[in-house]
Amino acid sequence: MSPQEPAGPSAAFAPRDPEAFFKAQKRNRRATWRMSALGAFAALIMGIPLTLALTPLLYGVMLVAADIINYFSPLPAEFWQNVNAIARLGQHVGDYFFNHRGTLDPQQLLWALGLSLLPGMVLTLVLWLCMLALFRRGGVGGAVASLNAREPNQGDLKELQLADAAQEMAIAAGLPAPKLMLLDSPGANAAAIGTSAQDARIVISRRLLDDLTRDQLQALLAHLVSSVGNGDLHVAFTVTSVFETCGLLITLINSPFGRQSQKTLWRIVRYAFLGSGATKSAEADAVAELLAGSLDMNSTDIDRFFNSPQKVGLIRKFLRLVFFPIVFTNMAIEITLWFFLNLLLGPSMALVWRTRRYLADAGAVELTRDPDALAGALERLAQDSSAMPGGGWATHLFVINPTGDRSVRAVQPTREQMQQAAAVWATSRPGDAGANPDSTRFASADYAQLKREMMATGLAAFRGDAQAAARMQAFAQAMAAAHGEDAASVHIPNVADISAATRGDRAAIARIQAATRENAQLQAKRGTTGLQSQSFLSFHPPLKKRLRRLERMGAQFRAEAHARMSVGGRAIAVALWLIIGPLLAIAAGLMFLLIAIMIGFNLVLLTIWLSVIHWAFGQNWAENFSAFMRFVNDVATALNKATRSR
Amino acid sequence: MNALIVVAAITALLLFFLLASFNRLVSMRNGVRNGWSDIDVQLTRRHDLVPNLVESVRGYMDHERLTLEAVTQARSQAVAVAGAGIAARAVAELALSGEVSNLFGVAERYPALKASQNFLLLQEQLTSTENRIAFARQHYNELVRQYNTAIAEFPRNLMAGMFGFTPAQMFAADSSDRVNVEVKV
Repeated sequence: MSPQEPAGPSAAFAPRDPEAFFKAQKRNRRATWRMSALGAFAALIMGIPLTLALTPLLYGVMLVAADIINYFSPLPAEFWQNVNAIARLGQHVGDYFFNHRGTLDPQQLLWALGLSLLPGMVLTLVLWLCMLALFRRGGVGGAVASLNAREPNQGDLKELQLADAAQEMAIAAGLPAPKLMLLDSPGANAAAIGTSAQDARIVISRRLLDDLTRDQLQALLAHLVSSVGNGDLHVAFTVTSVFETCGLLITLINSPFGRQSQKTLWRIVRYAFLGSGATKSAEADAVAELLAGSLDMNSTDIDRFFNSPQKVGLIRKFLRLVFFPIVFTNMAIEITLWFFLNLLLGPSMALVWRTRRYLADAGAVELTRDPDALAGALERLAQDSSAMPGGGWATHLFVINPTGDRSVRAVQPTREQMQQAAAVWATSRPGDAGANPDSTRFASADYAQLKREMMATGLAAFRGDAQAAARMQAFAQAMAAAHGEDAASVHIPNVADISAATRGDRAAIARIQAATRENAQLQAKRGTTGLQSQSFLSFHPPLKKRLRRLERMGAQFRAEAHARMSVGGRAIAVALWLIIGPLLAIAAGLMFLLIAIMIGFNLVLLTIWLSVIHWAFGQNWAENFSAFMRFVNDVATALNKATRSR
Repeated sequence: MNALIVVAAITALLLFFLLASFNRLVSMRNGVRNGWSDIDVQLTRRHDLVPNLVESVRGYMDHERLTLEAVTQARSQAVAVAGAGIAARAVAELALSGEVSNLFGVAERYPALKASQNFLLLQEQLTSTENRIAFARQHYNELVRQYNTAIAEFPRNLMAGMFGFTPAQMFAADSSDRVNVEVKV
């Protein structure tokens, strides 16, 4: 179909079930509620170990503060009586749970639960509300700037068409027309960004205009417009804020130890007092990225504080001693967060987001009455490279997963892609660089041959053939360059090193490790610290499911959506799951145990630490100290027993 | 005393329901009116664009006088009934749509015309306007459907009658033709 043809509600399309898209929308709205409830539940579940790890530290800080105040102006006796009562309650409850000694009446249990869970919960809630308040005024300027988007060019017919199509979709949805931004990137993708329907921007890569027909482009815009109309930007904002809160928590815990966290905190404070404007939104983006980055497990502040290689002064040594117990709190919190975010909270957020994508798909069908166009557009996008430069922070906002979708198998690379690969492969051949394959008669049989050849070269490289290894490297870089990526950013581990490492060459292992580290740094620089990395479940629904649902709304039958595994393949998959499933369950159980042990140790160490500090401040704490020590002993023996019984 | 409280509670509940549904109907009616004005904007835009189109193609396709005259005719007809009711306008406007798309079909036969940047831009504008009218109409008809359903449903229909909420008319060309069709059950 030529792009000039009108793309209104297609007359040829007669819906098989005219209610289908309304029904689909209703169903997905309900699904969103269900998944949100699951998310809230997951947050609650995650909150319990988190607050258990956090609360002792909070009490510790409060106690130290009280001690210091008391040193200068003595606090009333009732205060210390209350503190004693709390300590005794803790001891009593601990006795009951770890040693099965004594009795516990429900009121005591309630008090203990409230005292141990409430402070951490209140703190996290306050942090979350802070994040919501902080970033609500951030605006989208920074995000647009970091994507390097530009305004559409009115003189270009295709870009004019795009603007028209966006207007049409906004009219169909009865919404104000969103602003359009174009990306001159080699990847083909589109996203709706912003904080609300008022400041929504639709970011679309220029390549889409050349790849899609007008109908398909319109369907894609309809998806984005109805996504904005459904309030997805608000949902995305809330989802992001949850992750940012976790990042802030880790930053706060790390802040006594390192520059990095202190810098992040300082930037947040400075950001809070910035007036609104371009700098504000740019700063919002930078701060959000910093917070997301601190969620990664490889933050080095603590390592540097305790293991710095250079000689340290007396003050640093003293500080190390004083802050030592906090390391355990830190580790407990980090592991808890990592475990629950990846396994529970992240996936449930991803599921919420997926229902929004399905909802927007159904909305797009309502607006265009043309499910085929959207299905065609999605398929076309899945065949292209959909990677977005510099957009790692917001991969979830894009129509198609920028990191690729593997759910639709049997999607052959397009002819051009095959030809391109063949041409690049030919030029990477050492010696005869001029030999071009006959591009006019390029068939998929040639492609299979090409794949076999590459495989053989890869194997040769692995066996230690330096020339083959060099060719693989050259091919990878040339492909990256052909896709417009930075060739230097592609790192293939040196195959010769790998084969040497398997034979036990120490130097080779060290080289591989160095390369991996360098690669990780490059990744971090490219900003791949999105929400996506915090959940093992993708934020994007599998393309296959989306196509199936579109089919239910009347799209043409699509072979890709029905591609099934062979019986043998399925049997192998089932067998694999039968083996992996229990292993995963055991791993999760071990993780739980580890978290429990960390929290227990954390409690013990903090108790000792606090007792020492309190004792140093010279209160008559001696009898409590011995009681504490007994409690510590109890906890330690209980943990010992628990670990030994496993 | 107890009975009094029950009566008061029921009255309050009724009043609350009355208020809520009245407000809902008002906002729906405003939505319908807004949807109509959206269509109106696009129709006016087309009325302004069509003479430009006719002017720009006249030089290229002089011996397609009949086609051009039909477009001009349909346009003046549509402008003439601009103040009339929805049904009359729908008939005239959809006739104009047909003539414009007919003109584009004829233009396909003139390669020189298709090479003209000016014509292509104008064609894009008009095509987009056609689409906008179609989508605005789709949106409007959906709003009308929801509104008409809302005022016909029990018990809201009692209230709708009381406060003068009358059914809105869809923007469709053949509504007048269908009046005579009798459905026998």
